[in-house]
Amino acid sequence: MSSEQKRIRKKERSTRLAIWMAARSSRNKTFLDRMCRKMIIKATAVDPVNDFMRDEFVDNDQGFDPEELDRYQRGEAV
Amino acid sequence: MPAPVPFDPQEIVDAKYDERPTREGVTTKRLICAACDIACSVVGEVKKGRVTKIRSSDNPIFKDNICMKGIVAPKGLAHPNRILHPLRRVGERGSGEFERVTWEEAMSDIGSRLKKVVADHGPEAWAVSTSQWNTSTDHGLGRRVMNHVGSPNWISGVALCAGNTAAVNRFTYGWFPFGDFSSTNCIVLMGHNPRRHSWTPLYNSIRSAQARGAKLIVMDPRRSSSAERADIWLPLKAGSDAAMMLGWLKVIIDEELYDKEFVADWTLGFDELKERVNEYPLDRVAKLTGCDPEMIAEAARVYATSGPSIIPWTPITDMQRNSTSGIRLQTILRSICGYVDVPGGELLQGFNPDIVNESTIEMHHVLSDEQKMKQLGSKDHPAFTYRGQLAFREPTKRVYGQEYANLVTGCHMATPSETFRAMAGEGEYPVKAFFFLGNNPLMSYANMPLIHKAMMNQDLIVSHEQFMTPSAQLADYILPADSWLERPWIHDMFGWMSTIRFSEKAMDPPGECKSTFEFWKQIAGALDMPETVPWDTIEDFYDYRVAGTGKSFADLISDTDVHFKKPAFKTYEKTGFATPSGKVELKSSLLEELGFDPLPYFREDPPHDKDYPLKMFTGVREDPFFQTGHRHIPEMRARCPEPQIFLNEKTAKAAGVSEGDWVTVENQLGSVKAILAVKDAMPDDLVRVPHGWWKPEMAQGNGSLSGAWDYSDAQLCRDDPDYLDREQGIPHLKGIPCRVVPFASDALDEVGGKTQHMEPAE
Repeated sequence: MSSEQKRIRKKERSTRLAIWMAARSSRNKTFLDRMCRKMIIKATAVDPVNDFMRDEFVDNDQGFDPEELDRYQRGEAV
Repeated sequence: MPAPVPFDPQEIVDAKYDERPTREGVTTKRLICAACDIACSVVGEVKKGRVTKIRSSDNPIFKDNICMKGIVAPKGLAHPNRILHPLRRVGERGSGEFERVTWEEAMSDIGSRLKKVVADHGPEAWAVSTSQWNTSTDHGLGRRVMNHVGSPNWISGVALCAGNTAAVNRFTYGWFPFGDFSSTNCIVLMGHNPRRHSWTPLYNSIRSAQARGAKLIVMDPRRSSSAERADIWLPLKAGSDAAMMLGWLKVIIDEELYDKEFVADWTLGFDELKERVNEYPLDRVAKLTGCDPEMIAEAARVYATSGPSIIPWTPITDMQRNSTSGIRLQTILRSICGYVDVPGGELLQGFNPDIVNESTIEMHHVLSDEQKMKQLGSKDHPAFTYRGQLAFREPTKRVYGQEYANLVTGCHMATPSETFRAMAGEGEYPVKAFFFLGNNPLMSYANMPLIHKAMMNQDLIVSHEQFMTPSAQLADYILPADSWLERPWIHDMFGWMSTIRFSEKAMDPPGECKSTFEFWKQIAGALDMPETVPWDTIEDFYDYRVAGTGKSFADLISDTDVHFKKPAFKTYEKTGFATPSGKVELKSSLLEELGFDPLPYFREDPPHDKDYPLKMFTGVREDPFFQTGHRHIPEMRARCPEPQIFLNEKTAKAAGVSEGDWVTVENQLGSVKAILAVKDAMPDDLVRVPHGWWKPEMAQGNGSLSGAWDYSDAQLCRDDPDYLDREQGIPHLKGIPCRVVPFASDALDEVGGKTQHMEPAE
């Protein structure tokens, strides 16, 4: 088996594994399902620095403080 | 670009939901976000008289429609640099020196000076540049005042983005359709790349359609995030959209995949079209587009056989030297495949009969035909000017009940380049007074050096703005503008769709900021024609507009999320199409009358220039920004602190530059500086240049213009005849020759040099 064939075979196996994990993950019933789900979330999650919707500002769901906005508008440091 | 709504808006009305409980001391307002042009329905939370939070709508139909620009708006609009009071220039034009005046002082002087320009040079010497997407509450009042004064010279960014598409769509079937995302079977994106934080509702609609099995075909030179999710990706050469669609037509006609009954009953010019299409065999199209002929044929078959399919509006085909043919080819594909006015296809909605639409408010009938024919650009590039559109009056009245349909505000415009030439003293007559509202014209059209010369040659410049943009820095007066948090709004999709939505006023405007409605009301007063804008308040004006519903504006806001007319299909069977013939004109009788080729064609690139071996495209928006806005907001700027160009590794290596380097992109017209990001999603020899960059923190006034002279892509956008669309006179922004060279300067230490995370080719 050539190295190229080995590379393709390896890729096929990892793709099959990923599809199997995705299927388990979407079922989300058994301990194994949940493990798969956790691993997939970890592998696919975008770093909060690069994902605005995971930014602390959005996650906290608080919005801005009105006094803080007043001070900001007046040019005072916030 | 309005937010797509379900095909039957009754779903929005019927949606069952509870409003989210609010915290103590917080009230909520239903708003339409105007942070970009897609108009998401959102909720504003108000505390102590301030909007402190923007969140998504409680209505499940709209719940995912929100992005970072909307969320951060309460802070962005509270920025300390917001213009809160009227300002009058005190130094030389462009000195950046202003003094505070009252609205009364400003309007009195503006009125006298504008009247003098009109007396000296004629009413056509007054030009206005604006975008209703940004000003929102213009509602056609600007055109109304101009029409009464006698000036036809209104320009807008919609000349190269959606407005021109609307005007050109009319040549084929008399209206600008909107795709039914909710039940289509196939979506074709032509270079457009909606993302989670850019054109969000469109992105959600596409993802949702894909989730239920719709196919996605993407034509894009870049491997964009949409291309990565597509069933078929055609990596065509930038600017070759029209050639690609001619290839599709060749396949669809040769293999008889079109709707023969519709073509026979409802179209004119099919045989001539077939003859033209025969000039584009697939091997020729493959050469013109750089795509594999089998892939081209496969995509065409999928489009024609999996339907109903849609080709949503795209800002890419709008901005090419073959734009008119490209847009016409989209209309022809839709038509011959039988996708016009059918569920899952492209709906010709017409006006909402209960609402006084903006085309009516504009009162185009009061402008004399003589003045209409003076509209700049009419002679050489008439497609979207009065001259190109007046023949639609009778058919539009027959089908849609009124003569003027200024769809997406783009159907009766002057041509921007011709207007700036006239302003610079190089046109057919002088233009000496220039107003711009919610618009940064210096950086929003092609040929920034010409626009700068044009603005420096004015007797009067008035700006209605929120921030000190590079363009505002050249004004005589800057009048403070309100924002979407600070006044109510009726959003009627600018005539594109018949679904109407409403936005509440959530807080008082800061300082002396006023709405565009009030701006035009005061201008009408200053010109001694107060009767032109007779309503005392914007609420009175809105009550007048919605009177046909039998409710007041306040009642409508409290009662419903939308007001709409029931969807109807194939209405053309009763009325015909709003074209002179009443049919779908594959061969356009009006383009022929105007002296142009009545059939679509592809104009190949001018000869290769060895000094500028690369091609650049511009016009793309980065997630944190919309057009030239939002660079002042710290949270947005942190995500993208510097302008970035994209090249692939091979092209970067050939240019002698590498990741993170400051580089200069230059061509015959000008140059811009940017940081290089190497992206494997980019094809060879193509440069992605970011749109609309300036830095509010940099020095104001001529010299720097807050960095506009360093970074604005408008300096690279040519508008010489080789790079203009013939029929519309709009510039080619997708495939401009250029080169990339290393930028060596002490400024490097000052500005830093980090590339930021972005999607494959955002």
